[in-house]
Amino acid sequence: MKAAHILAAGLAAAFISTAPATSFAGETLDRVMDTKTLTLSSDASYPPQSFLNDDNEMDGFDVDVAKEIAKRLGVELKIITPAWEVITAGNWNGRWDISVGSMTPTKARAEVLNFPAVYYYTPASFAVHTDSKVTSVDELNGKVIGVCGGCTYEAYLKKDLVIDAEGAPPFEYQVEPGEIRSYETDTNVFDDLRLGDGTRLDAALSALPTIQEAVKNGYPMKVVGDPVYYEPLAVATDKGDPEFDAKIAEIVKDMHKDGTLKALSEKWYGTDLTTVKQ
Amino acid sequence: MTGRDNAGVRPDGGPDAATPASLVDSVLEHPLAQRMLLFLFGVAVFTLIDLRGTGIGELLRPALGAPAESGLWGRFAMAVVLTTAIAFNIVVVNLLPRWSQVPVVWAELLFLFLAFFYSFDLSYEFIGRKIGFLITQGAFTTIYISLVSIAIASAIAMAAALAKMSNNAMAYGVATFYISFFRGLPLLMQIYLIYLGLPQLGFVVDPVPAGIAALSVCYGAYMAEIFRAGIQGVPPGQNEAARALGLKSGVTFRKIVLPQAMRLIVPPTGNQFIAMLKDSSLVSVVGVWELTFLARTQGRSEFKHLEMLITAALIYWVLSICFEMLQARLEAYYGRGERR
Repeated sequence: MKAAHILAAGLAAAFISTAPATSFAGETLDRVMDTKTLTLSSDASYPPQSFLNDDNEMDGFDVDVAKEIAKRLGVELKIITPAWEVITAGNWNGRWDISVGSMTPTKARAEVLNFPAVYYYTPASFAVHTDSKVTSVDELNGKVIGVCGGCTYEAYLKKDLVIDAEGAPPFEYQVEPGEIRSYETDTNVFDDLRLGDGTRLDAALSALPTIQEAVKNGYPMKVVGDPVYYEPLAVATDKGDPEFDAKIAEIVKDMHKDGTLKALSEKWYGTDLTTVKQ
Repeated sequence: MTGRDNAGVRPDGGPDAATPASLVDSVLEHPLAQRMLLFLFGVAVFTLIDLRGTGIGELLRPALGAPAESGLWGRFAMAVVLTTAIAFNIVVVNLLPRWSQVPVVWAELLFLFLAFFYSFDLSYEFIGRKIGFLITQGAFTTIYISLVSIAIASAIAMAAALAKMSNNAMAYGVATFYISFFRGLPLLMQIYLIYLGLPQLGFVVDPVPAGIAALSVCYGAYMAEIFRAGIQGVPPGQNEAARALGLKSGVTFRKIVLPQAMRLIVPPTGNQFIAMLKDSSLVSVVGVWELTFLARTQGRSEFKHLEMLITAALIYWVLSICFEMLQARLEAYYGRGERR
């Protein structure tokens, strides 16, 4: 059978020719400007930051911010929706150029991604079922708490949250959870919490705007006490293109200055989350 | 029921007079006694389950008063009513003519399912708003990915099956390695490996091709074994007869062996295809907008997951039914040689 020999030769050739692709500086910016498109990776199930609206288009605060960035670059915005863990793993290989996904610039993520600009700050809060007797955060010690896996909320409960950004307000670990349950995403946590107080979960830790959005949609939950920490949320880019990073940083700075971000924050959250609160 | 094999001939269905059996055994062999015991068993189970919070309890409200306060007697009464209803149903269906029994049973089970979904108090307005896109974008993508994957998988499987049956050690080695490796990895892992791993080698693949590639190599490995079994299931005499007639080996395979092998290959392949249709939902992890992905994301936009999950489940089921019908037609076509 000759086919086998050809196959063997082909296999050998394939192994030899797969030298790793090298990246050049300015690659991302060149690609964005040449193709006239900025490709955004976004989580399609994280309302009100990013979700599919009734016209089946991506919508939300993060999406609006990304649209504005694209507009100021003078290019079109294209949105793709890979899984969150694929986005945070880095090594994007030019599949997408930017993530405006309410990502917290942690030390671990900074090893594989760059965070050129913080665009707003989100309070992280505990929520319990409306039937719960819990009224303050320190009553949550020893309880079963649900969080989204790989998020900063999980890191906070495990006491290894290191936020790697300037202007991040300090915080302390106030809760000693009895058991941490990790879910794919925040909305799954709320689904288990809504079943009843203590049925599967006693509490959830998530972004305050997301909790409020769920409450607005009829979820029987209430927020406990004050936010336990504020996380700065940043635009993320792939390693290796300082020019692109500088450009993005400049655009976001301008959006802070001229009130664009403030207006978008008020549109989606009903309050201004674009400055640090203590 | 009895644990004793009934060797004797029992035209009346009663106990076998020839075997000295204990009283309990002989009673247990009476169909009527068996049914009574089954009935009592059903009543016991439903009494334990406690149906007071269900529709049955509401149904008996005029007789028992408030279901929640009816206590053990209430539970027992509801169990008797429900068991009687089920028994009555079985009797009635057994009296029906044969052709109508299957549709009636299907309709009943479907009604129970729909009642189960109805009890969730779903928002039909929301489903109505979203179902169009779920079908045009989601179901279409699912079908498209499955069809392309099954076509490529069949080609790979045929090549791997032939290689595994060949005398060439190299081809045999490659084929067995391929089958072993791709059958031995979870499909989800393969999707991640192809989507995240290939770019490390400089090939940046988009989500849809990555998903199709993963499904193809995974199912190709499974189907290679099916193809091999089908081809080896054709009696060797067919091959020898063809050779005696002077046919070349290629023609023999195409015209004699393969058509007969197809009869054995089609049913399990149809099975694989229906499994692939549902496994394509795993491609959602790399952000392909297929049925599962859209069901999850659209449900989350307004925190109405069950609506979307149930809708998507029903769409998957309808698609599977379509393929079952297609498979039945194919089986009839390739089995025509057996019917003459």
